[in-house]
Amino acid sequence: MPELSMVQALNAALRHCLAAHDRTLVFGQDVGRLGGVFRVTDGLQHEFGERRVFDTPLAESGIVGVAVGLAMAGWRPVPEIQFDGFSFPALDQMLTNLAKYRGRSRGAYDMPVTLRLPSYGGIGGPEHHSESPESIYAHTAGLKVVTPSCAQEAFNLLVAAIRDPDPVIFMEPKSRYWAKEEVALEPAGLPIGRACVVRAGSDATLVAWGPMVHRCLQVASAAEEDGVSLGVLDLRCLVPLDEATLLTSVAETGRAVVVHEAPRTAGFAAEVSARLMEGAFGSLKAPVQRVTGWDVPYPSGAVEQQYIPSVDRILLAVQRVLDY
Amino acid sequence: MSDEFVFRLPDLAEGLEDAELVEWRVSEGERVELNQLLGEMQTSKALVEMPSPRSGIVRRLHAQPGDLVRVGDPLVTFEVDENNEPGVVGRVPREEAPPRRVRLRPPSQTQ
Repeated sequence: MPELSMVQALNAALRHCLAAHDRTLVFGQDVGRLGGVFRVTDGLQHEFGERRVFDTPLAESGIVGVAVGLAMAGWRPVPEIQFDGFSFPALDQMLTNLAKYRGRSRGAYDMPVTLRLPSYGGIGGPEHHSESPESIYAHTAGLKVVTPSCAQEAFNLLVAAIRDPDPVIFMEPKSRYWAKEEVALEPAGLPIGRACVVRAGSDATLVAWGPMVHRCLQVASAAEEDGVSLGVLDLRCLVPLDEATLLTSVAETGRAVVVHEAPRTAGFAAEVSARLMEGAFGSLKAPVQRVTGWDVPYPSGAVEQQYIPSVDRILLAVQRVLDY
Repeated sequence: MSDEFVFRLPDLAEGLEDAELVEWRVSEGERVELNQLLGEMQTSKALVEMPSPRSGIVRRLHAQPGDLVRVGDPLVTFEVDENNEPGVVGRVPREEAPPRRVRLRPPSQTQ
């Protein structure tokens, strides 16, 4: 198997889907001639032509609106919004049309749009380049929210998202773009909506997604040095949420710490915590803890490591669930 | 996998033909980050600071202080990780585990 970065795995997934289905379209700012600001679409316009891989104006609402119209006309659009913070000008199209067309047309129209969104912080970006808007999209009924944590999952989940008949907000963790691993370039054929136990453990379960899965694996290694066994659950999809795997994993340890980069208030950890209360209350040995970004706008890249949950902050939360 | 990247003197001002290297701020063998100051060039108009266009290891400095370098001539050869190029915005995060200070007390010792 080739060793690929997440960027290369995403590129391979797009190439696979463009080759497999000639109604697949890739478009957005700078995705064509430049090949994307992170090189995710590198070489695709050259290989598939300017009619299937094309640049758009700097107009996010237009990008998503065009995707909605193309999907209604039978195409399979894979638009890119260049950065998470620039998805907000497109919220109108995403919330009022993209999320609603299946219901509005009583099922007459599929909406097979996969909106690629380079997301989260950790790369020292300026304002608008490091947001974590996942709970905005997860709270919008009609949208699916998928977020890979490593190169292999990025390949599998992007292929699955593009094949899915519903609109998927595909949040790519920028800080993991360059991390490499061996990647099998054969689509796994799994539908989206399955969580994955990436590390088994017996004392407590860390629940995370996107970039914080890697951080939680670092925490689990640190805890092992202290004789504490932590499991790590990668949700992979926030909508649909794999509640069965979530409840089972946490019930095995009885203790859960949920970690995300987004601010704490009304963050998706609150939803995870509520599901655990409703479905695993009897097996919980301690209240579910959250470790999140602070309730402030995402700070300057110079101080972002004081915002993103650190190994130490997560370890302190682990100690709280162990001590309860 | 690593690759070589040759940084050639860009046109530092409108229609510039050459510039004099005043001093290097990096040395051969040194690892530099994107936008780190490489050195200073004196053009006919101003003293210009030169940020690094890539992160990587400086393999060769092609000029000595006082040399006149023509636009388009090699200035620095970098050894770069070919798949580790940052995006147009931001930098590539470091991979090593962050430092920890907190030590856990295992559950058996706390109950």
